[in-house]
Amino acid sequence: MRHLDRREWLKLALKGSFGLATLSSLQLGLLPQALAAGRAAPDGYKALVCVFLFGGNDSLNMLLPLSGQSLLDYQAARQSLAVAEPIALTPRTAIADGLGLHPALAALEPLFSNGSLALAGGVGSLIRPTTLAEVQAGKALLPKNLFSHNDQQATWMRGQDPQSPDSGWGARLLELMYDVPDFSSCISLAGTNLWQRGAALSPFGMSAAGVPELTALKGSSKRAALLRDMQNRLFSAQQHPLADQFALSHSQAQSRSAIVATALTQAPSLQTEFNNANPLALQLQMVAKMISVQALLGVGRQVFFVGMGGFDTHDAQNTVQPALLGTVAEAMSSFYQATVELGLSEKVTSFTMSDFGRTLSSNGDGTDHGWAGNQLVLGGAVNGGDLYGQLLPQRLGSPVDMGAGRLIPALSNSQLFGSLAQWFGADQSALQLLLPELANFDPGAVSLFK
Amino acid sequence: MLVVRTMPTQLLICTLLLQPFCGLYAAQTTLNEVEAARLLQQASFGPTLGDIQAASQLSAEQWIDWQLSLPATTHSDKIETLPEQKTPVPLSRLETWWRIALTAPDQLRQRVAFALSEILVVSDQGNGLNNRVIALANYYDLLLAHSFGNYRDLLQQVTLSPVMGTYLSHLGNQKADVQNNIRPDENYARELMQLFTIGLYQLNPDGSRKLDDGDNPIPTYDQQAIEGFARVFTGWTSAGTSNFLKPKADYLKPMIPFAAYHEPGEKHLLDGVVLPAGQTPQQDLKQALDLLFAQPSLPPFISKQLIQKLVTSNPSPAYVERVARVFSDNGDGVRGDLAAVVKAILLDEEARSGFSGVARPFGKIREPLLKTAHSWRVTQSASPSGHIYLRTLADSHNQAPLQSPSVFNFFRPDFSPSATLQQAGLVAPELQLLTASNALNMQNHLYTQTVGSIEGLVANPTQYQMLARFSPFADVLQRQGLPTLLDQYSLLAFGGAMPAELRLLLSDLASGLGNISPAQKAAYLWYFILISPQYAVQQ
Repeated sequence: MRHLDRREWLKLALKGSFGLATLSSLQLGLLPQALAAGRAAPDGYKALVCVFLFGGNDSLNMLLPLSGQSLLDYQAARQSLAVAEPIALTPRTAIADGLGLHPALAALEPLFSNGSLALAGGVGSLIRPTTLAEVQAGKALLPKNLFSHNDQQATWMRGQDPQSPDSGWGARLLELMYDVPDFSSCISLAGTNLWQRGAALSPFGMSAAGVPELTALKGSSKRAALLRDMQNRLFSAQQHPLADQFALSHSQAQSRSAIVATALTQAPSLQTEFNNANPLALQLQMVAKMISVQALLGVGRQVFFVGMGGFDTHDAQNTVQPALLGTVAEAMSSFYQATVELGLSEKVTSFTMSDFGRTLSSNGDGTDHGWAGNQLVLGGAVNGGDLYGQLLPQRLGSPVDMGAGRLIPALSNSQLFGSLAQWFGADQSALQLLLPELANFDPGAVSLFK
Repeated sequence: MLVVRTMPTQLLICTLLLQPFCGLYAAQTTLNEVEAARLLQQASFGPTLGDIQAASQLSAEQWIDWQLSLPATTHSDKIETLPEQKTPVPLSRLETWWRIALTAPDQLRQRVAFALSEILVVSDQGNGLNNRVIALANYYDLLLAHSFGNYRDLLQQVTLSPVMGTYLSHLGNQKADVQNNIRPDENYARELMQLFTIGLYQLNPDGSRKLDDGDNPIPTYDQQAIEGFARVFTGWTSAGTSNFLKPKADYLKPMIPFAAYHEPGEKHLLDGVVLPAGQTPQQDLKQALDLLFAQPSLPPFISKQLIQKLVTSNPSPAYVERVARVFSDNGDGVRGDLAAVVKAILLDEEARSGFSGVARPFGKIREPLLKTAHSWRVTQSASPSGHIYLRTLADSHNQAPLQSPSVFNFFRPDFSPSATLQQAGLVAPELQLLTASNALNMQNHLYTQTVGSIEGLVANPTQYQMLARFSPFADVLQRQGLPTLLDQYSLLAFGGAMPAELRLLLSDLASGLGNISPAQKAAYLWYFILISPQYAVQQ
């Protein structure tokens, strides 16, 4: 099928061509809304892709010292969990005792070298700059429930203190930039999540396989038409609030899936290879496909959420973590190549988040829940080849070790989010609303983009 | 006025007097069909006409007592290796689970064990349990064995389960080795407190958070307590092991202690309790679990979650408190009596009359698994081979027994999907599973299992294809007409309270479908009920 521009696509869509015959009038009614949201957009196109590493990645172990006292400290702290044979990196800003990449992340090394991968070092959830002395004196203002999985996942997703209603900075960012962000600006390949839930917005949750079609409504028979009408009636507003939420979700699922499925029929076939056995790569492949039809969907800005679990390496870290990191590196690298292929590499930035970093000390064959860690930021617009923040010393008893090698962050994750949001198009006033705690930190300390 | 019309006199008096013990009113009278159906929604894998008839002979309490008396239908001994396999595969365990959910007589125990499996979570997704089929079924049997037992015993058995020991990595956990910077593993210590016993914040008996003078919630534990409990859970490994460092693989028998690998020092736990140095692994473990079990937050923490999984997502604080008090003391001075707790949950006035008598929106979203189980039970679905062996269930349901993505279960008890619900102070935990793709996949699954699987109309069924018996409903439609069929469906799906607008829609659907076979018509109507937002909420 030849590639249509958005205007042509919409015209055909409204006429009911290429499969849209199956859309109900209700669904067609939503199309102009998608168009309107596109019109209100800031210029051009940009996408943020959050890669969530569930369980708390031992991300301090992704970036390693190469020599000197730092290496000795690392080996003394990590003991049997110390990683050997790191890949030497050459950051633009020299780091004492060098900077090495975990060998399982080898696929990312060329991206660091060519300047598209940046490293955020010593980052964690922080309310304000925090010192060991404050922590020890019990005077530090600490995020609630440090070291608890779901609570700390939420701190990364929120980007602010919990509010009622609760919301995430991914969705809030869109809601600050658009009056009514279109559903297709907020897409999850990894289920419901707080990062993409806003005042009104919630993620459109699809799977790596795409979007399904309703069997019962297939075709253009009289029967299908009857069932479609009945189903629209069925998913009308309900008195019971839980039933109403269910009805709304289902009516939206149907209309939105039809729009996405139709748009995806226009996706160019990507030459970039994604490993079929890598579930994260498959999620990111679908993100790349969605990005390839963003012009048809008419959204100028998109946030995507992908993720994988297994990072809670209390056990068997030496075998489990390399496999996980290899999966991440392979998937993110393929995704970056796909954005290059689409000519959109400078419009798309992917980055990692995770519950927390982990202890430097071992529990025998694994690590426990920690705090500060390192994150990856990848894209053609990223001023990469460098480390932002600090490479925290992997030394037990250091001035940032609050015990057992749980390290106090040097950088707030809101500083990382601020830089991402600014690139995405948030202005200063939006940034303040988006990340209130940013005011407690040096706003210019992290500038990840060219 | 609806309240007055539907409420028995005893209840009306109770409500007026606001006496908590009045919750037992329903225990005394024989259930009518509607009451039986409502009880079976909460206490089984879904009411069938047969089960409704059987329960209608009894009072609610008699039915529960009968269920409590039934022996457990265990899973691990019923796993079958299917012809194409050499050994049981993960699907074999699910196959067994389905057979039992659909047909076992001990429905209440199976439903409670399923609820417990979503609280005391282990999973074959990762952590070395992927192909431990029998071991996981054995863990499920452990939950079944204690579903009506004592929560303290359950905690003991769960803690010593090699499956839990593998999942949360305290199997093989050993004392500190200062020279090598090795400390005890904190995994089980943390999740035991956060998820299995007391939660993050101290609770009042009604499940609300206790507040300090500054109106802040009060944490139940700190990092020091985590480290203390981590030291407790050292020195345990697989049964049959002779060298602690080379554990023998035994995923069935409880773990055994090795004093030489147990942390010998003091353990600082909660409330200033310090376990003395030099105790045995058994002593430390017993005292640590006793301490957690005695915490005042435990009864409301566990009671509320069981209420949410069986009856309603947003119970009134008074309901939680009534159940939590039974958890604290069953009336004979016993704490943690789960049979008494389950009974208190199901016989409470809010459970029995909540749909009409309580201001808070009553009910809970039905989990995808419960929908399918119910539909298959109602339609007596079975495959030609007798097995329930479907590879696609994971995609459509987004859940399967003991396959949670993490120890935090498929959904959290405090999950609320939208600003609207949050502002109303409402949670809908099961909606955490719901994405757009899942919504459509589930609809397609239900369509396939109803309209697409009518017994007698499927030409060449494969050996594992589930065939739904719609002929009894087709007979009703043919002989007694549509209103009678809708009454029957209303009883099965809504405890007799099918909303009028849905009934109207189904009537319109039936006439719109025109001249199709009665079985097909019955199947279409049932499919629309299954996907309806009204049925989505178990009330």
